[in-house]
Amino acid sequence: MSLYLKYLSMHLKSELQYKMSFILSFISQFFTFFGYYFTILCLFNKFSNIKGFTVYEVLLTFSIVTFGCSFCEVFFRGMDQFDKLIVEGNFDRLLLRPRNIILQVFGEEINYVKLSRVLQSLVILVIALLNLNVEWNIYKVLTLLLMMLGSITLFLSLFTIAATYCFITVKGLEIRHVLTDGGKHLAQYPIGIFRKGFVLVLTYIVPFGFVNYYPLLYILGRVEKKVYIFSPITTILYLIVSLLLFYKGVKKYSSVGS
Amino acid sequence: MSFIEVKHINKTFKVPIREDGKFGAMKSFFNRKYRYINAIQDISFSIKKGEIVGYIGPNGAGKSTTIKILSGILTPDSGSVCIDKMTPWIDRKKYVSEIGVVFGQRSQLWWDIPAIDSFNLLKDIYKISDEEYEKTLNELIELLNLKDIMNIPVRQLSLGNRMKCEIAASLIHKPKILFLDEPTIGLDAVSKKAVRDFIKRINKTNNVTVILTTHDMSDIEALAKRIILIGKGSILYDGTIGKLKKNYDYLRKVKITTKDNIEIKRDYIINQVKIKDEIEFVIDIRKVELSDFIKAISSKISIIDIEIISNDIDDLIVRLYEEYKI
Repeated sequence: MSLYLKYLSMHLKSELQYKMSFILSFISQFFTFFGYYFTILCLFNKFSNIKGFTVYEVLLTFSIVTFGCSFCEVFFRGMDQFDKLIVEGNFDRLLLRPRNIILQVFGEEINYVKLSRVLQSLVILVIALLNLNVEWNIYKVLTLLLMMLGSITLFLSLFTIAATYCFITVKGLEIRHVLTDGGKHLAQYPIGIFRKGFVLVLTYIVPFGFVNYYPLLYILGRVEKKVYIFSPITTILYLIVSLLLFYKGVKKYSSVGS
Repeated sequence: MSFIEVKHINKTFKVPIREDGKFGAMKSFFNRKYRYINAIQDISFSIKKGEIVGYIGPNGAGKSTTIKILSGILTPDSGSVCIDKMTPWIDRKKYVSEIGVVFGQRSQLWWDIPAIDSFNLLKDIYKISDEEYEKTLNELIELLNLKDIMNIPVRQLSLGNRMKCEIAASLIHKPKILFLDEPTIGLDAVSKKAVRDFIKRINKTNNVTVILTTHDMSDIEALAKRIILIGKGSILYDGTIGKLKKNYDYLRKVKITTKDNIEIKRDYIINQVKIKDEIEFVIDIRKVELSDFIKAISSKISIIDIEIISNDIDDLIVRLYEEYKI
C-alpha cells in the first residue's frame, strides 16, 4: 500500500510538470461529460418516466456507474491501458522487480485528469439523492455505500479481464469495449427497463445489476428483502476470478513471450 | 558448480503467418496459421562469479531471448538454468532482487521528473534501508558524476547523461549480476568511455558479474575478455577474444603508393585493387610473412609510401558471421 501511495505521488509530480495543461483538461473533462446527463434530461422532458423509473432514479444509477468507472480510470488506469504496457514491452520491466505484478501495473499509470469525472458523478449523485423521494435509514445508507464500492470493484474486474485478454491477442481489440463501455452504457439505466435477455446478461455475465439495480430497488422501497442490500458484494467474487485469470495470463506470457 | 549454469535450453516461438492479398488479413483472422521459430536451440554455458562476458550475434540471433530467460522474464521450453542456486523463472521475486538489467533502448526512468525521484521509487520497490540507500547512491553519484544532472527532469537530459542515470538506477539495489543490453547505443565517444570505465570499475570493486550484449565491438574489446557468439539460436564460439583473433584475424591490408604498374598472382594474395597511384593488397599472413611479401614487391616496383592495416574487430566478426553463414 505504501508503495502504491509512492506511485501516486510520483504521478502527481509528473502531472504537475505541465500545470496549465492539467488544469485545462481537468476543466474541459468536467464539462464535456455533462453532455451525457443532458441527454437524459432531454429524454425525460418528453417522457415523465421510463417503465416507472423517474429522472432522479435514473440519474442515481447513472452516477453510480460513472463513479465506479471513472474512479477505476483514475486509480487503476494501468490496468485499463494494459495493452499499451504489453505492446511497448514495458511489461518485461515489471517482471524484473521483486514486487507484486498487479500492484506495479496499477502504479504504471494514474490519470488524475479523470478525477474531474469522479467529482462530476458525485455532484450528480448528490443532486439525485436530494430529489429522490426516499425515507433514509441506516440500511439504505449502507446500501448506497455498497453500491458505490461494488461499482468500483466491478469495473476493476472488467478492466482486469480486458487486460487478461491482451495476453491472448496482444492488442486489446474491441472486446473490452463490449464488456466495459457497452455494459456501462446499458447499465447507466436501471436494467429493469430492458428486455429479459439483457437483464440476464447484465445480472449473471457482467453483473451490473447487482451493483445498481437490485440494491436500487431496495433503496426505493420496491422490495423489502434485506438480501438486496448486500448484492453488490457479489462483485468481489467476480474480482477474485478475474485476478486469478490475470495471474494465469502472466504465467502464459512468460512461457510464450512477446 | 559455477555461479551461472545454463544447460541445454531451448525456446520456440509460435508466430502467426500473415497472408498477403486483398483478404489476407481477414483470412488469417479466421483461420490462423502458425509457423514455429526456434529462437534458441540447445544453449549451454557457465559463467563464474565476477566475470564480464560479451554476448554477441547478429540481429535476431537469439540474444535477447537468452537474456530474457536468464533474467526470469521467459520460461524456456526445456533445459535448466541455475543462477546463484536459483532458477530465475521459478524464484522470480527473490531472484530479480539480485539482478540489475539495463535495456539500452528502453528506459526505466520517469520521463517528466528528475532521476532522483525515480531512484527514490526504486528504493521503495527494492525495500532498501535508508542508510544503505544513502551509501550506494552517494557512491553512484560520485563514480558516474551525477551530481549536477540528477535534479533535472529526465526528458531534458542528453542521451549520454540519461544512460548514466539508467545504469545507476539498475545498480541502486546492489545486484550481484548486471545484464546490459546495448548499453552504449547512440552514445558519443566521451559518454561511451565513461560508461565502460564505470562498468569495469563496479566489476572490479563490487565483483559484479556482467553479461553484455552489444553490436559495438569496441565495447567488447574494452570490457570483456570472454565472448559468447550466437547465431541462428546456437552457440558458435565461446572463448577469449585473443583466441578468436588468432584463429580468424589472418588478413592484412597493405596499401602501397606507387607510380608503377604491377599485377602479381600469388596464392597468399587474396585480393588486389588499384585506384590511381594506390594499390591495395589483401594478404593472408598464414601463408606468407609480411616482410617477405614486402621484399618481393619492393624488388619489382618502387614504393613511395606503404601502409599496413590490421583488421579491427568488426571485420573479424563480419568474417565470422560469413564463415558460419549466419
